[in-house]
Amino acid sequence: MARYGILHPVSFITLENVSYAYTLPDGKALPALRNVSLRLEAGEFVAIVGANGSGKSTLARHLNGLLLPQQGSVRVAGYDTRDRLQRRAIRRLVGMVFQRPEDQLIAATVQDDVAFGLENQALPPALIRQRVREALEWVGLWEARLRPPLQLSAGQMQRVALAGVLALRPRCIVFDEATAMLDPGGRRRVRALMAQLHAEGITLITITHFMEEAAEAQRVIVLDRGQVVQDGPPEMVFRCGETLAAYGLDLPPATALGCALRRFFPALPVPVLRVEELAAALAPLRPARPAPVLPPAPPPPSAPPLIEVTGLSYTYAADTPLAQPALEEVDLLVPERAGYGLLGATGSGKSTLLQHLNALLRPQQGRVRVGPYDLSDPQLDPRMVRRSVGLAFQMPEMQIFEQYVGDEIAYGPRLLGLPKPELRERVRWAMELVGLDFERFKDRFTFALSGGERRKVALASVLALKPSILLLDEPTAGLDPLARRELLQRLRMLRLAGLTLVLSSHQMEDLAALTEAVTVLAQGRVRLAGPIADVFAQGAAWSALGLDYPVVTQLVTALRAQGWPLPATLLRLEELLAFLEQWLGQGEAP
Amino acid sequence: MSEFDFTRLVPLGQYWPTGSLVHRLDPRARLLGALFLLSGITAAQGLLGLTLALVVLGLLYRLARIPLREGARTLRPALPFLLILVLLQVAFNAGADRGTVWLRLGAWQLTTEDGVIAARLLLRFAALVLTLNLLSFCLADTELVRALEALLHPVQGLLPVHDAVLLVQVTLHFIPLMLRELERIAKAQASRGAEWGVRRGSLAQRVRMVFPLLIPLFLNGLQRSENLALAMEARGYDGNLPRTAWVEFTWHARDTLALGLALGLTIGIVGLS
Repeated sequence: MARYGILHPVSFITLENVSYAYTLPDGKALPALRNVSLRLEAGEFVAIVGANGSGKSTLARHLNGLLLPQQGSVRVAGYDTRDRLQRRAIRRLVGMVFQRPEDQLIAATVQDDVAFGLENQALPPALIRQRVREALEWVGLWEARLRPPLQLSAGQMQRVALAGVLALRPRCIVFDEATAMLDPGGRRRVRALMAQLHAEGITLITITHFMEEAAEAQRVIVLDRGQVVQDGPPEMVFRCGETLAAYGLDLPPATALGCALRRFFPALPVPVLRVEELAAALAPLRPARPAPVLPPAPPPPSAPPLIEVTGLSYTYAADTPLAQPALEEVDLLVPERAGYGLLGATGSGKSTLLQHLNALLRPQQGRVRVGPYDLSDPQLDPRMVRRSVGLAFQMPEMQIFEQYVGDEIAYGPRLLGLPKPELRERVRWAMELVGLDFERFKDRFTFALSGGERRKVALASVLALKPSILLLDEPTAGLDPLARRELLQRLRMLRLAGLTLVLSSHQMEDLAALTEAVTVLAQGRVRLAGPIADVFAQGAAWSALGLDYPVVTQLVTALRAQGWPLPATLLRLEELLAFLEQWLGQGEAP
Repeated sequence: MSEFDFTRLVPLGQYWPTGSLVHRLDPRARLLGALFLLSGITAAQGLLGLTLALVVLGLLYRLARIPLREGARTLRPALPFLLILVLLQVAFNAGADRGTVWLRLGAWQLTTEDGVIAARLLLRFAALVLTLNLLSFCLADTELVRALEALLHPVQGLLPVHDAVLLVQVTLHFIPLMLRELERIAKAQASRGAEWGVRRGSLAQRVRMVFPLLIPLFLNGLQRSENLALAMEARGYDGNLPRTAWVEFTWHARDTLALGLALGLTIGIVGLS
């Protein structure tokens, strides 16, 4: 200790005045980190949050020498990351799990993949075998050791990647948005493994867009435009108010809910980070006043069904030994102008079902009717269907191919043969729908846009065909909180304009915001279906499917269990606040 | 089957574990044996030798407990191209003494030798395809990679063996991934009105249709390879430093025997004419 000075015992990782800039194709420098100094202690659990472009991933890549600081220095366990001779040692000490599951696995079987890092350390084969076994047993995938990684679910692939890191016995693991692509079940599992690693004394650094995940850490570091703007325990960083919004971030949902409830319960301590804590804190504050009796909910508007699916079954590679059933006897009714949600874990058949609705897949068994089109009819021209049913896949910005925004959006209408002036109007119309200014954006390079803007371009390019039905697969996946909020806002406006929306999502808050009815799929079958509030109210059946609740439903369920007279069907914040207002009066001004 | 199903175009990952004697041979013996046969078939000039190769392959399929029909399945789509090739060979084959003349069309004549050439081409092609398919039925991707690594180990000082083996490994991993991606892109563009899968339009239109597919595929491939390179580096990969192979093989007497047999047959295939 004396060697490094008595006042500052050596930290596990030390960054001193680190600056880093990327070079753009036109030669300009894009600063990603500006003069960042940090100390990360051994055994700490740190979350790094920030909007897209705030420098989170760049920072993460400095922690094990994947990037080297252009100015300043990074030390890991005393080694300077610039020292080439120590690089192998540093990579062994600090492991990393990346965002995209299938891009970080390389071998043909799970066990070979886990062995990869150990082989790189030139360890003896017998030791490698032992470590591979330990690591795979630890993540619960020993049984799958001989399977090709690409046949696993995204959550399982992330656990294989984690096993590959664990096998090296690192002292620190960096999770770079490692849960972004997972369904709630997969995400819960990875988060449980992280908690266990922390308990075993491993230093954890997690980079995430999910504030509820950041709230589980001991320390939260907020980055904004390459600088550390906040650094402290989650209770300090996630305070009520607009501080985080300035950095393009949100509060964790439970915290935001707690802050909103202060209006009615001024004695409520804030911030609270978890719903259980919020329910516990509210318990003694239960109002004595009798609750109002709500009038029975109006019956759902009985619009005629626009989409009608009956007894649909579909098997991939049907006539081969690799046959894989994806849908079995699925029924679905979507009324005109509805917002309809499809829910389920990865591989439950949501995406296959969506692809039937615009004739990318044709029914093998059962019937699909979309508007006037019967999709079983072999004479049907699928382009007719696709013109009125737009589909945007998960991460649709990956399919952008034109150089300029305007050309990209014009692709579809141009194929329709629209004359030039009309084409221009159509592109303008579509861009305005998603909130992109026509004059400002039409001549921008598609590759130079931010993630949220690229998503909007992709969406506009589907809307440019003027569909009456829009199908969306995970519309907000991978967006930062600000871009996500804005996109949800735009989609709500599209619904008001009369568009029928069918979306699949893992994000319960997205579904609560955009849909009135949902169908829950598991293993290709319909498990639950109906108005969204009724489906969320089916507690036990719900948890068995490995899905999450919206945070308002979680709180209402917990409070009802304590005897609060709240209706079970509350699931949106506005609904809860409206009910409380009726019950308790105006409350205090926030 | 759907017009977007690209993954079935490539006969990869068709490993078929029947647990037969062939499957139980050391992967190095399986790989080397196949390489012997392949070179023999390529070098053979005589019809008799090629016939012997086909007989041997028939027996091997039986021994591996894989229906010959499965191995021959990929032959059919290639047949039209093969016939064109045969026609070209025969048409441009000119020489003085070419055996009995069967048919005469102006200056052009069909002779015994033309028949031999055509038969040789067809037999050789069939034998090559059957061998390659048998290899992919009997050798899993991971065994292929490990066998390559073990066989190339002695020349490590001369060649960048780790890099080469890794290249094979990554390619095997990427091809199905990129085909899946291609399917997604094609579907997305079709949803935006592209005529993909509608089977209409002129050739020029069809060619133009390819750009919206290839550009995102290419960008996607670049991004993926960058991610992969980062992930590999983060796990300490460095082609210049020594690594170990964690799986060790044990060579049995039956492997020596099988390899000896393969070598003998190869000599027979080349020698018989």
